[in-house]
Amino acid sequence: MTRRVAVVAGGHSKFGKRYDATVRELCAEAFKPILDEGITQDMIDASVLSYAASQFTGQGAGSALIADYLGLHEKPHLRVESACTTGTASLRAAWGMVASGLYDVMLVLGVEQMNRVTSAQATELMARAGDMRWEYPYGISFPAFYALMASRYMHEYNLPHEVLSMIAVKSHHYGAQNPKAHLPREVTLEEANNAVPIARPLNLYDCSLITDGAAAVVIAAENRVKEFTDEPVWIKGIGAGASEMMIQDRPSLTSIPGAKRAAKAAYKMAGIEPKDIDMAEVHDCFTIAELIAYEDLGFAEPGKGREIVENKENYHDGRIPVNVDGGLKSKGHPLGATGISMTYEILMQMRGQVQKPSRQIDDVHYGLAHNVGQSGQFVNVIIFERGW
Amino acid sequence: MSKEKKELYLGYATDKAVTPFFQRFLEALEQEKLMMSRCPKCGAEYLPPRQHCQKDLEECELVEFPEREAKLYSYVIVDFAPESLASRAPYVVAIGEFPSGKRLTAHITNLMSMPEIGMTLKLAFDRIDDKKITYKWLV
Ligand SMILES: CC(C)(COP(=O)(O)OP(=O)(O)OC[C@H]1O[C@@H](n2cnc3c(N)ncnc32)[C@H](O)[C@@H]1OP(=O)(O)O)[C@@H](O)C(=O)NCCC(=O)NCCS
Ligand SMILES: [Zn+2]
Repeated sequence: MTRRVAVVAGGHSKFGKRYDATVRELCAEAFKPILDEGITQDMIDASVLSYAASQFTGQGAGSALIADYLGLHEKPHLRVESACTTGTASLRAAWGMVASGLYDVMLVLGVEQMNRVTSAQATELMARAGDMRWEYPYGISFPAFYALMASRYMHEYNLPHEVLSMIAVKSHHYGAQNPKAHLPREVTLEEANNAVPIARPLNLYDCSLITDGAAAVVIAAENRVKEFTDEPVWIKGIGAGASEMMIQDRPSLTSIPGAKRAAKAAYKMAGIEPKDIDMAEVHDCFTIAELIAYEDLGFAEPGKGREIVENKENYHDGRIPVNVDGGLKSKGHPLGATGISMTYEILMQMRGQVQKPSRQIDDVHYGLAHNVGQSGQFVNVIIFERGW
Repeated sequence: MSKEKKELYLGYATDKAVTPFFQRFLEALEQEKLMMSRCPKCGAEYLPPRQHCQKDLEECELVEFPEREAKLYSYVIVDFAPESLASRAPYVVAIGEFPSGKRLTAHITNLMSMPEIGMTLKLAFDRIDDKKITYKWLV
């Protein structure tokens, strides 16, 4: 029998180009608000560090460094790596340790520092997440993997690029209202649609940002939750899925099979359906990824995701609000921090604490985080339920 | 083995990890032969080749892949390249689908206008420099 597990506290650093900090200071910035709520290091049994790519900084053994810096050096710790889905993979790992009874209370901390190298170097390092023998030699950057999906999607469903730009406009609209966002500024549809090409058909405003930042959550077993909060957010469903390594081997490029598998498993475990979801944090590493996510998560039929966009159903007061914190596009995408940042946003939305009423979603009961690794090789979908 | 291994690498940005199996693939490629692999136990075929069958992990053999024409399945024009390929940008990466359904990912090197999904791609070969060789697409 597993125990129920809840998210009981969270913290979030400012996202951006953080030349003023290294991974340790970023983690401190995300952990401090948790201590400020009266939670102390002795209350935490163990920690998981979500840190996707030490290649960016050169710092190995990250969890040892961070645990020590945060005063958790006498508590067990480990690091998880699953590319861009490292955050929710870490949460999944920690959930298992708490649900099984191994620990009662854990800290899950996500961090990445990507701006110690140039954008061309960062693009190089991320391209090495492709197959080093067959894909890397052909210079398939991360945006390029998603552009391969975009070309095919646009062809099969006759999708104009403008619909993708509408997603960017929405992300920046909400990012502009999020003080933690990397690029908190609005963009017009015209600017977004005519931005410089990066990996055609994708342009600058189709791409997420190269970001430094950290986010943290504390999770606790059901019998300990009351010591921490009256407003726990239960981890109700955890789904994970996987897909082929090489993008050419996917039978279809208009959906991510691993994401569909993850979603199915998460809904099943939570005992709910897509229509029950009140808000979603989806992995919009590229605008096309957000559009495909609507379909993989069951918010729209295949090929019909654009209706959500065109009808603005994805806004904070719409049918299915998506990424009203700015998403990876405007809030930023520090790889290891992203899944934890999604979790943090759901916690804040449920608690009514996002500060700006213009992006506060009414009465969130179920929230969903969809976090994709690489171009879909591994995906985690987590469903949260408000516990009060 | 007394015979010294010829230094050969695949593609434009190279991973220098060349195994004996991959070396045989590269030596054939130098002779303008594209090799796939076939599992002696279950008959599964792989393009690009795998040394081990995905189903039973048997050692596969390299056999020549006979098809020469494919249809453009999807493409990207890379404008902002990884550092190692910055000097080549922009370049077109295309997934071509052969009549058998097998696919191959390579650059299209002679496009004069925008690529169109479904267009015919011809398999070709290229020597990039004295150590680097590749397969590629022509339209
Ligand atoms: C697209 C990309 C290459 C642009 O990087 P860049 O050209 O080095 O950009 P710079 O940092 O030099 O910034 C140049 C300008 O563009 C802006 N900018 C950078 N990235 C941007 C983005 N993704 N969207 C919108 N604006 C962006 C900067 O704010 C800056 O604006 P300013 O001149 O007004 O200050 C980079 O953002 C990128 O690679 N994104 C994808 C990241 C990725 O693949 N992540 C993994 C996905 S799972
Ligand atoms: Zn076999």
